[in-house]
Amino acid sequence: MSIGNEDLLAGARGAPATGPREVASDAASTAAAGPGRRARVVPYLLILPSVVAFVALLGYPLYQVVRISLLKLDLAELIQRTTVFVGLANYRAIFTDPFFWSVTVRTVVFTASCVALTMVLATLLALLLERLGGAMRLALSIALVLAWATPPLTATVVWQWLFDTQFGVVNWVLGAAGFGDFSNHSWFDTGLSTFAIIALIIVWQAIPFVALTLYAGLTAIPRELYEAIRVDGAGAWQTFRSLILPVLRPLFLITTFLSIIWDFKVFTQVFLVRHGGPDRQTITLSLYAYQEGIASSHFGRAAAISMVMVVMLVLALTFYIRYMLRTQEDL
Amino acid sequence: MSRRRGARVLTNLGGVVALVFFAFPVYWMFATAFKPTNDILSYTPHWLPVPFTLEHFSAAVHRPNFGYYLRNSLLVTLSAVLASLLFAVLAALAVGRFDFRGRKAYMLMVLIVQTAPFEALLIPFFIMLRGLNLLNQLPALILIYFIFTMPFTIWTLRGFVMAIPRELEEAAMVDGASRPQAFMRVVFPLLAPGMVATSIFAFVTAWNEFLYAFVMMRDATRYTLPIWLSTFQTVFGTDWGGTMAASSPFTLPVVVFFLIVQRRLVSGLTAGAVKG
Repeated sequence: MSIGNEDLLAGARGAPATGPREVASDAASTAAAGPGRRARVVPYLLILPSVVAFVALLGYPLYQVVRISLLKLDLAELIQRTTVFVGLANYRAIFTDPFFWSVTVRTVVFTASCVALTMVLATLLALLLERLGGAMRLALSIALVLAWATPPLTATVVWQWLFDTQFGVVNWVLGAAGFGDFSNHSWFDTGLSTFAIIALIIVWQAIPFVALTLYAGLTAIPRELYEAIRVDGAGAWQTFRSLILPVLRPLFLITTFLSIIWDFKVFTQVFLVRHGGPDRQTITLSLYAYQEGIASSHFGRAAAISMVMVVMLVLALTFYIRYMLRTQEDL
Repeated sequence: MSRRRGARVLTNLGGVVALVFFAFPVYWMFATAFKPTNDILSYTPHWLPVPFTLEHFSAAVHRPNFGYYLRNSLLVTLSAVLASLLFAVLAALAVGRFDFRGRKAYMLMVLIVQTAPFEALLIPFFIMLRGLNLLNQLPALILIYFIFTMPFTIWTLRGFVMAIPRELEEAAMVDGASRPQAFMRVVFPLLAPGMVATSIFAFVTAWNEFLYAFVMMRDATRYTLPIWLSTFQTVFGTDWGGTMAASSPFTLPVVVFFLIVQRRLVSGLTAGAVKG
C-alpha cells in the first residue's frame, strides 16, 4: 500500500491501476446500492460534511477578510459592534505607506532567497544521496527526516541557541576554524544578519522534503538511460541538463511552487527569532498583518494587508493549480 | 582509477558535512537538555552530556500550569485529528469509489484549500471567534486545527482508497454483503494503515501550531505546549538548559512518528501531481 518511489515519476507509467472512473454497474453493486437514484445520492452525502466545513470555516473567513478590509474596525468599533464602511481607505492607507512597500519587497526577496537556496541545495543533496553507499545514505536520510520532523518552534529555539552570542557553538567553531574572533559576536544586531539566521532555520527544515522527493524521482530513472547518454560522451553537467532536468521537471516545478507558497506566508520562525526586530527590520507581511491587527487593533488595515498576501499567493497558486490540472488526469 | 577514488572520497565527505548539518542541531538540543548548567554556559562546548543531569526536565515540568498545557495540547490535537479523519474518510470514499458530477470540481477545491494561507486569515478568524464568544476557548482551536488538517487528510486518504482493489468489495457484495458491510469488513481494515499514517501527519500539524494558539488563547490555563515553549525565552532569559529540556519531550514524539511514516508521506504531497 505504501506508495513506492517508482510511482513518483511522471510519465514513467500509464494510468493508475485502479481507475475510479468506471461506475460499478455490475449485478453485485446494483443489488447492494438498491435503486439507482439512491446510489447517485450517496457520494454527495459523503462529501457533504466536508463541503459544509470548508464553506463555514474557509469560505466564510475569506469573505470576511474582504469585508473587514473595507471597514474601519479598531478597538472602539469592535467593542461597540458598529460597522463603519470606509471603502478603499485601508488600501489607500497602506499603499501610500513607504513602510508597507519595504515590507512587501523584503518579503518577496526573502521568499525568493529561501526558495532558491532550498531548491539548489536539495538538488545537490538528492544527487549526493544517489551516489552514496548504502549505510551512509541511510544515515543521511535519517538526519534529513530528523530536521524535517523537528517542530518549527523547536528548530527556531535550537538554532538561536547554536547562534547564541556568548555560549553558542557556531561562534566557537568559527573561532576555532580560524575565521577570526567570533567570541561575543551577536548575529541579531542587524536586520540582514537576523534574516540570514531566519532563512537558515527555514531552509534547514525545507530542504529534506524537497531532497527526498527529488531523490525518489532520481531512483526511478532507468539505468540504461544513464548508460546511453554516457556512451554519447556526455559529462556530469551534460547528463544533468539533458537527462535529469527534463525527466524531473514535474517534481522540480511542484516542489518550487509548494516552497514559494510555504515560505511566503511563514510566521512562526520569523516572529520567534526577534519579533520582527531589530528595529522592525525583519517584519514580513504575515508579521505586519499580525502587528497591525492583533497587537495594535487596526483590524481593517490588517485585513487589507492580509488581502495583499492572499492576492499574491493566489497568483502563485494559479500556476500550481494549472500545472496540476494539466498533468493530473485522475484528479 | 585514482580519480574515481578521489570522487568517492569527495562524495563521502559531502555526505558527512550534510549529515552533521542536519543532525547536529537535533543532537545538540537533547545533549544540552541533559547537561548541568555549568557545562552549558561554557565558552568551550562540552560535546557530550557527561556528567548527566535531569534537573532541567524536572524544573521545566514543575513550572506552573504545565499540566494544563499538556492536557490542552492533547485534547485539542486529538479532537481535531479525529474529527478531520471522520470527515475525510467519508469524502475519500466518495471521490475514490464513486463517479459523480462535480467530483473533479470537488477535488480541485480540496487541492486549493490544501495550500490555503491560514496566516492571512488570522484577522477574520479572530473577529469571527470573538463574535461567537469562542476566544480563549479550547473548542476554537479544535475547529481551526480541524480545518487545517482536513484537506491534506482527504487528499492522501483518497490515494489509499484508490489503492484498494475494487474487486475485493465486489466479491464481498456477491457473497451477500451490503455496501456498508463490505466497507466495514473489507475496505476499512485495508484502509487502517493509511488512516494511521495520515492522522499522524495531521497530529503533527496541530501539535506544532503556534500562531493561532498564541493569538486566540489568553489565559495561561488555556495555553498549549507551543506557547509554553515560547515563554521560556523571555521568562528565563538565557536558561538554555530549561528551554532544551522543554523542547526535547515536545519534539520526541513528532520525530519518532515521522521516522515511522515518512516513506508513505514523501509521496503524499506530490503523489497526485506526478501520476499519469
